[in-house]
Amino acid sequence: MEVSARYTFDAPRQRVWDLLVDPEVIASCLPGCESMELVGEDTYRATLTIGVAAVTGRYQGTVRMSDKDEPSGYTLLVEGKGRPGFVNGSASVTLADGDADGRTRVAVTGKAQVGGTIARVGQRLLGGVSKMMMDRFFSCLQQRARAAEGGGP
Amino acid sequence: MSSRIFGSRIRRREDPRLITGSAVYTGDIELPGMVHAAMLRCGHAHARITRIATEQAEAAPGVVAVYTGVDTDGVLQPMPCAWLLPDAELKIAPYPCIAKDVVRYTGDVVAVVVAESAHEAYDALDLIEVDYEPLPAVIDPEEAARAGAPELHAKDINGDDISGNQAFHWTVAGGGDVELAFAEAEADGVVIKERILQQRLIPNAMETRGAVAQYNRATGELTLWNTTQNPHILRFLCSVVTGVPEDKLRVIAPEVGGGFGSKIAAYPADFVTVFCAMRLGRPVKWIESRSENYQATTHGRDHVQDVELAATKDGRITGLRCTVYAGMGAYLSTAAPGIPTILHGLMLSGCYTIPALKEDVYGVYTNGVPVEAYRGAGRPEATFILERLVDMLANRLGMDPADVRIKNFIPKFDDGHEVVTTLNYDSGDYPGALSKLLEHTGYRALRERQRAGPSNGKYMGLGLTSYVEICGLGPSQVAGAIGFQGGLWESAIVRFHPTGKVHVFIGASPHGQGEETTFAQIVASEIGVDVADVKIFHGDTDSTPMGWGTYGSRTTAVGGAALALAVRKIRDKAKVVAAHLLEASVEDMDYEDGKFFVKGSPDRAKTIQDVALMANVAWTLPEGVEAGLEATTFYDPPNFVFPYGAHLAVVEVDARTGHVELTGYTALDDCGPQINPTIVEGQVHGGVVQGVGQALWEGAAYDESGQLVTGSMLDYALPRADQLPDLDVISTVTPSPHHPLGVKGVGEAGTIASTAAVYNAVMDALRPLGVTRVDMPLTPERVWRAIQEAQGS
Repeated sequence: MEVSARYTFDAPRQRVWDLLVDPEVIASCLPGCESMELVGEDTYRATLTIGVAAVTGRYQGTVRMSDKDEPSGYTLLVEGKGRPGFVNGSASVTLADGDADGRTRVAVTGKAQVGGTIARVGQRLLGGVSKMMMDRFFSCLQQRARAAEGGGP
Repeated sequence: MSSRIFGSRIRRREDPRLITGSAVYTGDIELPGMVHAAMLRCGHAHARITRIATEQAEAAPGVVAVYTGVDTDGVLQPMPCAWLLPDAELKIAPYPCIAKDVVRYTGDVVAVVVAESAHEAYDALDLIEVDYEPLPAVIDPEEAARAGAPELHAKDINGDDISGNQAFHWTVAGGGDVELAFAEAEADGVVIKERILQQRLIPNAMETRGAVAQYNRATGELTLWNTTQNPHILRFLCSVVTGVPEDKLRVIAPEVGGGFGSKIAAYPADFVTVFCAMRLGRPVKWIESRSENYQATTHGRDHVQDVELAATKDGRITGLRCTVYAGMGAYLSTAAPGIPTILHGLMLSGCYTIPALKEDVYGVYTNGVPVEAYRGAGRPEATFILERLVDMLANRLGMDPADVRIKNFIPKFDDGHEVVTTLNYDSGDYPGALSKLLEHTGYRALRERQRAGPSNGKYMGLGLTSYVEICGLGPSQVAGAIGFQGGLWESAIVRFHPTGKVHVFIGASPHGQGEETTFAQIVASEIGVDVADVKIFHGDTDSTPMGWGTYGSRTTAVGGAALALAVRKIRDKAKVVAAHLLEASVEDMDYEDGKFFVKGSPDRAKTIQDVALMANVAWTLPEGVEAGLEATTFYDPPNFVFPYGAHLAVVEVDARTGHVELTGYTALDDCGPQINPTIVEGQVHGGVVQGVGQALWEGAAYDESGQLVTGSMLDYALPRADQLPDLDVISTVTPSPHHPLGVKGVGEAGTIASTAAVYNAVMDALRPLGVTRVDMPLTPERVWRAIQEAQGS
């Protein structure tokens, strides 16, 4: 399964970068994220509850950031499994200056392999669910960015 | 009345308990102290297991035990394959009950949890941690056979190399020189070529699979309740895998809610359940969920076929040449190697005179669920080849498809006809069947209507199938010669009680086909008792004589013969006893409708009930006659039986949406004399619908990583009543010359015929639009795309 999306932030690149690598921000913006703790360099252990079609379940896994190139992008490697199945995926997150000053464009392209019940039962809906989750995640980040900018010096 | 009971439409005596919910299935078995098992299925199509941690699951509420492959290794023997196809370089890959190192399809078992309740067992599955290193997977059988494809197995059970995922290569060649036939057709005739995808199908028995095992440590006796089509074979296989000797092993198939072939095989989970019961000394129940059923219970079909037909310019078939890649799934299931070969290739000449024929079948391991018999088992895949090619030949030559069939039919025969594959068909009138069908349906008039052109964007299509199938499996000598690891006879014990009531014990194991009714009809018509006085026992290896199971449309054809012959033995003995009671000589005795009398004096008769009483009390019996009135017969058929028929499907295809509507369907089947026409029609209805499902809606789909994505009834499109027309079911009656009752079999006929009939009808409708082939299932999307492509837009 492949996913891709683009988002625009009303914030400079460095500010967006800081948000995108902040585990607390990620944990609070990621839909269904119950916990996210650092377990190694740029590696986190996360617990998520996600519902796809009729299949709701808790997933545990690791999230690792690699190829970090501040403030231009990184690769996110995700490995998760739970009762409803497993997900192995990677996504490249790219940051670029927006067309106006103080704006940033973020592009995400990723690939995921899913298995287990979610693959058997939810496959048709997975693309839509992933897109929705990403949209919610980035819209939360966008709000954070705006709030930070507005409240900043 | 009793003599007319054969052929009467009495109601199925099974139905009251089935429709009132009082039938007892495996899932209904409750035993004191029983615990529940849940299987952890790997969920990966192909992966190496790097770590399994069970501690958390073991500590979970209600959990009694957790076992992995480390526990079962060496205790449970590998799953046996029981059809050792000869002359086919058969390579059987090791098939452990619980995978320890590598998993090869998403349903592979990696651990089992036993808990006080089923819910606790399923919840604890969540807590088992398994790390996998994913390996590349392959699902398409042709791709799996290509160089460079991911390889599933390195060695077979004998330590020989398996290369190219090839499980076997089987060839059938018959008759004249097939290469010459094609060379001649290329030069001065026609050659029709087609690629056919017989998509992978998922059988959907109403009852999923399950087992209950009870082990008595003091006696060493094991009882296994299992939803199986063949309890006696399962007892044998269970003994091999678990080591429990056959004499201490009792297998019971209680009510079995359908099988369609998927309950022929023995399954790892059955024996894992036994393992748990033996380890724990407590009864263990395992019941499959529907979702588990989709990924762990055998699938059917899965052929990639390249087929060619050679013919003369005036439409006479001269040769048939086929190459088939048959997906076997990750391991060879119990009877799997025989399905795409013996039951397929040997029937490739169908009802036609084909002078030369050759087929190569490659059985290929893939990362799919193991493939087994599925209603029709090999014959639908053969019938489809022929019936599609015959239609294409008709189109090429501008002939009516019916006329090409008539031109090539084997002429009517009553007592044997040897075909190019060396089978000896028993009896048949293929031209007669088709002409009756054409007349009954007004075929020529329908063609006229079709010539008027589409109406409101809807194109009408007509599709024919003429088929002959092989069933009543079969002579045991043949079974041995084709590598089937068992016999194929059937048995029956008929026991008369003093009051004239009858108990019948049969080795076969009906599971929805209605033999409790039809077998009682056989007894009633053979010896004049009331149907209500006959009780049929089946499915329990402790109380029934050995038998080889219910599949291949064989139960009535083989088991019914055993029963009829057993009753005739009773009749012979009863005549001797009656003669003694009437102080007459046996030669002077006559029999009619349950009464024995001296010729010419029917008013002074002894009834079978009189005889049963005297035989049981034995106050006065003729010299040398034993007490009791009981007979046993083991019937080994001298040949297979070959039912046949002709079906017509009528469809309307909406060219704007690609939607196919089946507007009419007529099935003409000849299964010989019908014991109960209502039951015959029911079998035809169900069979036809399953075949229609393959043509129009059904198909197991996997994604590129080997995940089954049609893993639920939301995603796998089973036929529904509102998508179907009224089915018109008619028949002809041609007795089998070698069968004591003349009967053939009818369980699979509908499925064998209907897929090709519906497919041909849709292609016939699409002809004016320039569409020549669409892969099954013919969903609106596929049909619409094919129309767009053909129209060049």
